[in-house]
Amino acid sequence: MRIVHEWLAELVDVPADVEVIAHEISLRGFELAAVEHGVIDFEITANRPDCLSHLGIAREASVIWGGALKPRPSGRVESDSVIPVRIEAPDLCPRYSAQLFDVTVGPSPSWLVRRLEAVGVRPINNIVDVTNYVMLEIGQPMHAFDLDKLQGAELVIRRARAGETLRTLDGVDRALDPEMLVIADAQRPVAIGGVMGGANSEISESTRRMVLESAYFHPPSVRRTSKRLALKTEASTRFERGADIEAPLEGLARAAALLEKIGAATAHATRDVYPSPRRPLEVSLRGSRIARVLGTVVPEDDVPRILSRLGFLVTGQDASWQVTVPSYRVDVTREIDLIEEVGRHHGFDRIPVTFPPLDVPQAVPDPRIERDGKIRRAMTAAGFSESMTFAFVERAAALPFCRPGVEPAAIENPLSEKFAVLRPSLLPGLLDSCSHNRRRGRKDVRLFESGSRFGPSGERRAVAFAWAGERTPGHWSTQPAPVDFFDVKGTAELLADVLGAGPLDFSTSAAPFLVRGRSADVGTRGYPVGSVGLLDPAIATARGFPASEEIYVGEIDLDALASVVDAAELRTHALPKFPAIVRDVSILVAQALPAAAVRGTIRSAAPALLESLVEFDRYQGKGVPEGRMSLSLRLTFRSSERTLTDDEVEAAMSTIVEALKGAHGAERR
Amino acid sequence: MSDSSIDSLREQFGRELASAASEADLRAIRDRYLSRKGGLLSALLKALGTAAASERPRLGQLANTLKKEIEQQLDERIAAAASTRAPRGAVDITLPGRRPAVGHSHPLSILRERIESIFTRMGFLVIEGPELEDDYHNFEALNMPPEHPARDMQDTLYLSSPMRSSAGSPATLLRTHTSGMQIRYMETHEPPVRLIAPGRVYRRDNLDLTHTPMFTQVEGLVVGEHVALSDLKGTLDVFVRELFGQERKVRFRPSFFPYTEPSAEVDISCAACGGNGCGMCKRTGWIEILGSGMVHPAVFESVGYDPEKYTGFAFGMGIERIALLKWGVEDIRLFYENDLRFLEQFPQ
Repeated sequence: MRIVHEWLAELVDVPADVEVIAHEISLRGFELAAVEHGVIDFEITANRPDCLSHLGIAREASVIWGGALKPRPSGRVESDSVIPVRIEAPDLCPRYSAQLFDVTVGPSPSWLVRRLEAVGVRPINNIVDVTNYVMLEIGQPMHAFDLDKLQGAELVIRRARAGETLRTLDGVDRALDPEMLVIADAQRPVAIGGVMGGANSEISESTRRMVLESAYFHPPSVRRTSKRLALKTEASTRFERGADIEAPLEGLARAAALLEKIGAATAHATRDVYPSPRRPLEVSLRGSRIARVLGTVVPEDDVPRILSRLGFLVTGQDASWQVTVPSYRVDVTREIDLIEEVGRHHGFDRIPVTFPPLDVPQAVPDPRIERDGKIRRAMTAAGFSESMTFAFVERAAALPFCRPGVEPAAIENPLSEKFAVLRPSLLPGLLDSCSHNRRRGRKDVRLFESGSRFGPSGERRAVAFAWAGERTPGHWSTQPAPVDFFDVKGTAELLADVLGAGPLDFSTSAAPFLVRGRSADVGTRGYPVGSVGLLDPAIATARGFPASEEIYVGEIDLDALASVVDAAELRTHALPKFPAIVRDVSILVAQALPAAAVRGTIRSAAPALLESLVEFDRYQGKGVPEGRMSLSLRLTFRSSERTLTDDEVEAAMSTIVEALKGAHGAERR
Repeated sequence: MSDSSIDSLREQFGRELASAASEADLRAIRDRYLSRKGGLLSALLKALGTAAASERPRLGQLANTLKKEIEQQLDERIAAAASTRAPRGAVDITLPGRRPAVGHSHPLSILRERIESIFTRMGFLVIEGPELEDDYHNFEALNMPPEHPARDMQDTLYLSSPMRSSAGSPATLLRTHTSGMQIRYMETHEPPVRLIAPGRVYRRDNLDLTHTPMFTQVEGLVVGEHVALSDLKGTLDVFVRELFGQERKVRFRPSFFPYTEPSAEVDISCAACGGNGCGMCKRTGWIEILGSGMVHPAVFESVGYDPEKYTGFAFGMGIERIALLKWGVEDIRLFYENDLRFLEQFPQ
C-alpha cells in the first residue's frame, strides 16, 4: 500500500521527515518496501485490511506522534429514497448503501490525478477517480453505475443464476455460478459484488445520472469468487480480508463532498439497507496477562493511551480494562489481539531478553535423526557425496521404478510436467544429478540420497546410491578399474552393517530398472529391503548419460530395514586363546555354480572347528577346461579349547573335498 | 721437488675440489690424487729423492701435511655428498598421494546438523514427521480455517488422491511447513514442550534464483506455564549469534502469522555493510532470516492445551535462505542440482 506523505499529513500530524515516518511505522508491523518522492510503500499483512488506506496508517501514526485524527469534509446523507434496493442474499451482503447523483463526467483536477498516480492508480474520469480516492483514503471500495443504463431502475443483490454471464469492466466475458454474488437490475447482472463492475452499466462521457454503491460483502464469498474468476481487484482485496461494515455511509458522504468540490456531481437521496446491524464487540484485557505474554510490564497508563489512539474505547482501572473494538479492526476478537496491539506499540526492542526455564529433562530424539547421521557418515566415508533432489519428478522418469501396473502418485496441481508425480524411488532424481555431473565432464560420480519416497504403501524413507566411472580415484600408480556389481553389493552390505541389520541375502532380481544377471534383490531375515545392480541402459540413455555408460545403483528401504534391526544390547565375546590353522583349497567346478552353493556344502561338511571361509580367487582361462572355473577358498580352523593338530585339520579338509566332489563334481587342483 | 711444486699441487687440488659437482667427481679426484699407483701425491713423494738431502726431511713433512689435508677435505666432502644420496628404495615424495575416495555431506545437511546442535544444547528435542499431511494438521489446527486469506501466503500442492503418510495418517497435501508435526506432538504430549522440527516442505513456487518448490525448514516450539515473548527474544538471540557470529545484531519486528500472536520477524544486521545499508540488505542494514511469535491461543485450543495456563513461542526458518546468506551462494537452485563442483566446496 502506497502512502502519500502529504495525504497522510492531511489526516494526522506527523512531525517528522518522510524517512523517519517510514521507519517508525515499519517497526510497528508494516514492512517497508520502498520510500521515494514522498511516497512510502508498506507491505500490509493479511490481518490488517484497515491499513489498506491512508486513514488506517494515520491511526498508527497518531499513536506514535500523539496527534489526534483531523476531521475531513463530508457531504449530506439523506435517507429517504427513490432507488429500490433489495438484498436477496443477506448472508453474502449484510449491508448495501447507494446514493443518487446528477453528474458531469470529465477529467479530474490535477491534484487528484497526481495523488492517484502517486499511489499507482490509473486516472479514468472524475467519477471513477473519486471512488478510488475514497477507497485509498478511508478503505471503503465503491462502485458507480450509470443509472440510465440499468434496465429497470432497481438494484437486486442476489446469487447469480446458472448460465448467467457478465462482461466485466476489463472487457472479459465471465461465466457466473450460483455461488457468486451479483448486483443486478431488473433484468441481468450489472456487477460482481465486491469484485468488479459490468461493462453494461459503466460510467461514460454521456452519463448524466449515477448510482453510487458503497457496501459490505461477506469476505469468504468475495475470496471464493475472486479465486474462481482469477480476478483480483483493489476492491476484492479489501472485501475478502474484511472491510469496515460501518463505513459505507461515511464513504458516500466523503465521495459526495469530493464530487461536489470538484464540480463533478450533485448529491441526491441515499438508501441504506442494513438488516442486522453489527453489535459492538467488547473484550476484557488484564495487565497481568500482558506481562505474562510479553515478559515485561507495560506502564499502566500506556495501555489505554495506545488502544484509544487506535480507535478502541477503553474503560476500567487497576490494570483491568473493558475494550470496545472498532468495526474496522476485524483482526481483533480476543484478549491476545489487544496484547499484540499493546506489544507492538510499546516496542519489541523494549522487551527484555530472557531464557525460558528448563525444568524437565528432554526426551530421546527421533531415532531416524541418528540413523540419517550414521548413513551420511558411512556413505561419505565410502566416497559418495550427498545429494538432495525434489520429491516430485516427471511421470515418464518415475514409471520404470514403479511395480508393473502401479501408477505413481500424482499431484493435483503440479507446477509443470517435470514435477507431476511423487517419486516412487529416490533413483530418478539421483540419476538426473549423476547425469548432470557426467555431462559437465565429470568422469567418476558417486552420489547418494536419503529421504522420502512414495509408493502404494504410502510415504517411506529410503537411501539410494548411484555410481558411474572408476572404482577408485585415478592415480598415476594404478590402472583404472570400472565400477562393477560387487561395488554396489558391498555398499549395501556396508549400510546394513552400519544400521545393525546385517547380514543381507542376495537373490536374482527381476526389477524392471536393472539388467538381469547383473543385479540382485536384497533381503534380510527373509524380508525384502531393496535391490542393487546395473541400471538398464535404456534408462541411462533416457536420463542423458553418455552412450554405453554403465551406471550401478542401489536402493534400500530404511523403514523395512529398521523393522528387522536387532535391538538387543551388544555382548562382546572373548578373544581366541589358541592359534588358528589356515588351509587354502582350489577346486574346479561348473562355471555356473554359485559360490554360495560351494560355501553351503563346505559349511555342512566341515566340523565345528571351521571358523571362517572366504573365496580369494576365481579364475577361468588357460589351464581350466571350457565350462569350468577354478575357485580358491581360504579356510580357517580353530578350537576354543586347545591347539589343533595338523592331522585333525587334514582330516577335516579331506571330508570337505570329498563332500565337494560328491555334491558338485569338484576336482581339487 | 721444491716448495713451489707442493704449493702449486695444493692450489690445483683447491680448484678441482671447488668445481666438483657430484659424489662421482669427488671420488675421481680422490683416485687422481691419492691412488697408490700413479696418484699425484705418490708422484710427489717419489720426487722427494731428487731434492737435496738436507731439504728432504722438511719437504717430506710438507708433502705429508698436504696429503693429510687432501684426505681430510675429500673425506668431509664425500661424507656430505653421501648423506644427501637417496637411500635404497627411496620414492619421489613429490608425486601425488593416494587419497581414499571420500564424499561430501550436502551443505543443507551440514547446516541442519549445526542448527540442531545449537538447539539441542539449549535443551530442545529434535522431532521428525510426515511430509504428506492433511488439511487439519497443516492449516485448520493452526488457526487457518478454510477460506482464510492467510492460506494464500503458502500456495499448496495437493495430491490427486489421498495417500498414507509416514505417520500412518491419510494425507491430502504436501506439507507447506513443518508446523503439522508440532500439532501432532502437542496432541500426544502434555507441556512443557521444547522442540525443533526440521524437514522438507513444499510450496507451489516456480524455480528461480531465490525460490524452489521444495525447501528445508526448521521450526521450533516452546510451551510452558511461564514462557514469554522475552524468552523468544533470548532464545533466538543466542541462536542467531551463534550461527552467524557474535558481532551480529538481532532485531525483532512485529509481523503477522495466523498461528502466532504477537508475531515477529527476526532480522540480523547485514554482514556486507555492517548495518549501514547496502544493495544486499536493500539499504536497510538488516536482513530478514526467520519468522516467530507467541503461539496463538486458538492453536492451544485445537490441541487441548488450556491457553490460560500455558503460553509458548514458535519460530520457523527456511535454511536454504540461511545458507545463501551464510556462504554467499547466489542461486538457490545449486542446492538441488548436486553439481560436485559445488558440493565439494563444503567440508567432507
